[in-house]
Amino acid sequence: MTEEALRAVDVRKTYHTRGAPAVEALRGVSLSLRKGERISLLGRNGAGKTTFLRIASTLLVPTSGTVEVFGHDVVGHPEQVRPLVAVVPQEGKPFFHLTPREQIYAYLRARGIDRESARARVDEALAQMGIQEVADRLSITLSGGQKQRAMVATIIATEAPLLFLDEPTIGMDPFARRGVWDSLRRLTNKGCTVLLTTHYLDEAEALSQRLYVVEGGRVLVEGTADAIKQQVGGTLKVSIPNGAALREELSTFGQIVSDGGTVYVITGPERINEIMSLAMKDRLAATVGPVTLEEAFLQIVGRSIDQDEG
Amino acid sequence: MAFTLRWTGMTTFLATETRVQLHEWLAIGTGSLVQAALLVFVWVLDPTLLPLTVIGAMVYSVFLIGQRVLNEAAYIRIDHKLNELYHASPMSPESYFLGMSMGILIAYTPPLVVLFVILEFLYPMSLAAVGMLILALLAVWAFSSSLGYYISTLFTDMKTIWPYSSLLTNLFGIVPPVFFPLSLLTEHVAWAWVPALLVPTSSATALVEAVAGMPEMGGLTTTQYLVAGGSLALEAALMLLFGIYWARRTAREA
Ligand SMILES: Nc1ncnc2c1ncn2[C@@H]1O[C@H](COP(=O)(O)OP(=O)(O)OP(=O)(O)O)[C@@H](O)[C@H]1O
Ligand SMILES: [Mg+2]
Repeated sequence: MTEEALRAVDVRKTYHTRGAPAVEALRGVSLSLRKGERISLLGRNGAGKTTFLRIASTLLVPTSGTVEVFGHDVVGHPEQVRPLVAVVPQEGKPFFHLTPREQIYAYLRARGIDRESARARVDEALAQMGIQEVADRLSITLSGGQKQRAMVATIIATEAPLLFLDEPTIGMDPFARRGVWDSLRRLTNKGCTVLLTTHYLDEAEALSQRLYVVEGGRVLVEGTADAIKQQVGGTLKVSIPNGAALREELSTFGQIVSDGGTVYVITGPERINEIMSLAMKDRLAATVGPVTLEEAFLQIVGRSIDQDEG
Repeated sequence: MAFTLRWTGMTTFLATETRVQLHEWLAIGTGSLVQAALLVFVWVLDPTLLPLTVIGAMVYSVFLIGQRVLNEAAYIRIDHKLNELYHASPMSPESYFLGMSMGILIAYTPPLVVLFVILEFLYPMSLAAVGMLILALLAVWAFSSSLGYYISTLFTDMKTIWPYSSLLTNLFGIVPPVFFPLSLLTEHVAWAWVPALLVPTSSATALVEAVAGMPEMGGLTTTQYLVAGGSLALEAALMLLFGIYWARRTAREA
């Protein structure tokens, strides 16, 4: 096995639907995952995340480009790729007429895992997802978040070498989300590789070693959360309520964002003192905090949208 | 592509499907209502035709299994996306399709057993006739499950399925001589046996009734035997092969 778990080069996908204009969902996505990495794909609705995941997991044919999973060509040899991957589909649901325990066990057995290991892994996955108490109830009686936990438990129990999770924590409470994070960390420590999508940027930051931001079917930026935050011109954010009058002056210190009546200055630590004194001179309160990944995301993707429109 | 079949996981998936279906035991019961009603009608109107109607009911029940495959495959894919779990796994697409079809067949066996007991009670069958019955039912199952699986892949919305499902049921189960004897048709239109014996459901029915020597059926000539047996075997085999091919092709969306 190569050390590269996934390698995608210039992947394009155009959807053709009868009676509707063609949709260019992917316009040349290239990315790569080393074995053992946890990587997040971020992007607005419709950016192409699910399309990419489905292509990489052999569920959708790309229009062009190549994807290799552990050196096997996804397009040409899906039968070699399939044993190596497992997928949590976006908006998937468990079998309503099976219990979570039955579903996970049946799925592991269908993947060729022996009875004893399957039983052990079922218990472990149920515990990790915190659904032992509902493990023997038909899934139709579970709450939305519990159903989603059962889906994620089914996939993490496979311990497949490459896991694709499309919005795995949607609808989960903060405890359950952390349960997923822990499980995924444990899996990558064991040598599995994880590619996930999420709209929770705190999750992406807490969980992934690198991020890819996708917009309009292209990779906009790639890197660690910190590196991506750097791209917006600073790691700190000064918030000044009612600071509209100072906007002009503040803009010399860094990037300005307004939200309601509050003005935010994105800047580095070396300029903080000057900004604070400027605010104080006008008897305005100012608070300093770190730039979050969400703010960086809004900035970077927002800039790209403006460019496209301009 | 070499046509070698891979069966990893099929029996597990088969058992999973059977289990899922048995949870919906009501559907298994209601799936036999039309047959039961027709049996009552025939019993009232002309009890001599009852054994024929029981065989028709069995063929019809097995044809309905294909409709269950249609619904189940579409439901799992459209509403649950569980097909993605199975397709992105070592389990082969043919195991998925055949596991589902056989799993549903097993879940829907109890009503068939009841019908068989009724049949034996009304018209004790020879061993050859029982053998023919089993072969014919398996052929109808292969045909209708494959057709059902194929059609399931054409839909992106559950709601649009119902009209097609009922069209198929009528086309294969009610219009051709399944519940009524072939002779009733040829009395009026002499050449009607040709299309009737080319349709898998009515050729299966005619074959079983003829081998069982049921007098009301009127028997089959050698040519008719050949047409019925040949078309049923060919249609079942080709449809099954097509189903496997199609399952492989649609494991990945274009
Ligand atoms: N089956 C399809 N047929 C036609 N267009 C499609 C199809 N699936 C997706 N698209 C389009 O392709 C683009 C990318 O969709 P995709 O589902 O990959 O987005 P996404 O990034 O996963 O979005 P979300 O965050 O909402 O899940 C969108 O414009 C979408 O409308
Ligand atoms: Mg998506």
